[in-house]
Amino acid sequence: MSLETIPIHAVPPAAGLSGNAPPLLHELHAMLRRLLDTGASSSIDLSALPLTPADLDWLRDKLGSGEIAVTLQANGESTLDETQCSGIWWVTHRNPQGAVVAQFIEVAFVPELLQAQPQDVEIGLDYLDSIRADL
Amino acid sequence: MQGPLIDSLTRQGITRRTFLKYCATLASMMALPPTAGRAMAEAMAAAKRPSVIWLPFQECTGCTESITRSHSPTIEGMIFDMISLDYQETLMAAAGFQAEEARHNAMKENAGKYLLIVDGSIPLAIDGAYSCIGGRSNVDILKEAAAGCAAIVAMGSCASYGGIPKANPNPTGAVSVADVIKDKPIVNIPGCPPIPVVMTGVLAHYLTFGALPELDDKGRPKAFFGDTIHDRCYRRPFYDQGKFAKTFDDEGARNGWCLFELGCKGPVTHNACATVKWNGGTSWPVESGHGCLGCSEPDFWDAGGFYKALSTPADPLRFAAAAAVVGAGAGVAVSFANRAKKDAAKTAHETTTLADLEK
Ligand code: SF4
Ligand code: SF4
Repeated sequence: MSLETIPIHAVPPAAGLSGNAPPLLHELHAMLRRLLDTGASSSIDLSALPLTPADLDWLRDKLGSGEIAVTLQANGESTLDETQCSGIWWVTHRNPQGAVVAQFIEVAFVPELLQAQPQDVEIGLDYLDSIRADL
Repeated sequence: MQGPLIDSLTRQGITRRTFLKYCATLASMMALPPTAGRAMAEAMAAAKRPSVIWLPFQECTGCTESITRSHSPTIEGMIFDMISLDYQETLMAAAGFQAEEARHNAMKENAGKYLLIVDGSIPLAIDGAYSCIGGRSNVDILKEAAAGCAAIVAMGSCASYGGIPKANPNPTGAVSVADVIKDKPIVNIPGCPPIPVVMTGVLAHYLTFGALPELDDKGRPKAFFGDTIHDRCYRRPFYDQGKFAKTFDDEGARNGWCLFELGCKGPVTHNACATVKWNGGTSWPVESGHGCLGCSEPDFWDAGGFYKALSTPADPLRFAAAAAVVGAGAGVAVSFANRAKKDAAKTAHETTTLADLEK
């Protein structure tokens, strides 16, 4: 029996727009301004705010999509997608079961998670050493 | 990012990037400001592995199952590697005198510094004879282990409030950890069983700050127990519209309407099921069509029947009356007070330092 055959609607139809999304655009404006002026990055934790699925769709739609869409495989999949506003990134973290565990809008030139961490680079260096030794 | 913890994760093939992602999601679940993840990652990476002694008393091992079987392999499991679990009867290979010796050694070597985790309630009737380990009563062992610990985590509703063993007529005289130990910081992680990530969150907080997180009036971490199930339930719009399922197979049930009239205790239950969910975020009881039993509140077993509707509608104005039915009156006011505080923390979308978090 597939899940579809169970006649229970586990999730009610989208609750509609709550009106909580538009103010975030003003906040993003200020955050982007600060990034340009001071280089300081910042982010908004979307799961911490009272946003309905419809609000999130509206926001995502307004911000559009940009040139970069990154998929990260790290204890479940994460996507870091640039929006039409360069410097604003839509970040979704999933767990290994595929459930969304956190969702952020990040304002940064490059999201921190994308940068290689120096100590991880060192491990890469060791690896190169070992395969070079086997040549 | 450097330190013993991250080194041990690296040896298991966990990159710093993966660890950063994990800390970001954990910070989000703990209602810390969005940039706290970085600060947590730094602090946790450098944390020394604290010695942990885990004592199981009058319990069903469901709490241990919940934590150790949270979908593997997860970082939850790896966080466990961040602690030096020096005594855990269910998990350890040692038995008999060897095991008791391991506990005594850990207690001596880490006197004043180890973390004590307790699951299960403590029976006091007939001098504690209802539950003994190695010929000693639970209450005896608890007092001895608590004397030298830095703090106690009461895991699950039994250790937190007495739980099912304490249900009427409480034949064994079961009590909670806090009923026995009065002079140590205690954090309660109730739930039958508790949600794994709450446990990890408390451990992460302890590793990051060297202290227990902020607690509510029932000794629970506010970050996870600040809201009621009802506050965050996705069926809430139906409750507000007065659309209730009347039986488990009527049209309302099929349409996913509110389960209040089928006995849902969500309005008076503080827990994180509605947001964190269960089984790796797959679903949670109300999403599966069954009302909340109120398992993270004291004496939930005796709260008047799982399928009996709360006697007063959970209208916020009359909340206190409904709450009193299951003895949860004070908790409700606290949850409203917290929410403002949490929101304040969350609206500060700026870079967070460890010092900010410690405030
Ligand atoms: S009463 Fe239960 S099912 Fe109904 S909205 Fe509250 S928590 Fe959800
Ligand atoms: S929904 Fe209620 S009874 Fe079920 S696990 Fe969560 S708090 Fe416990």
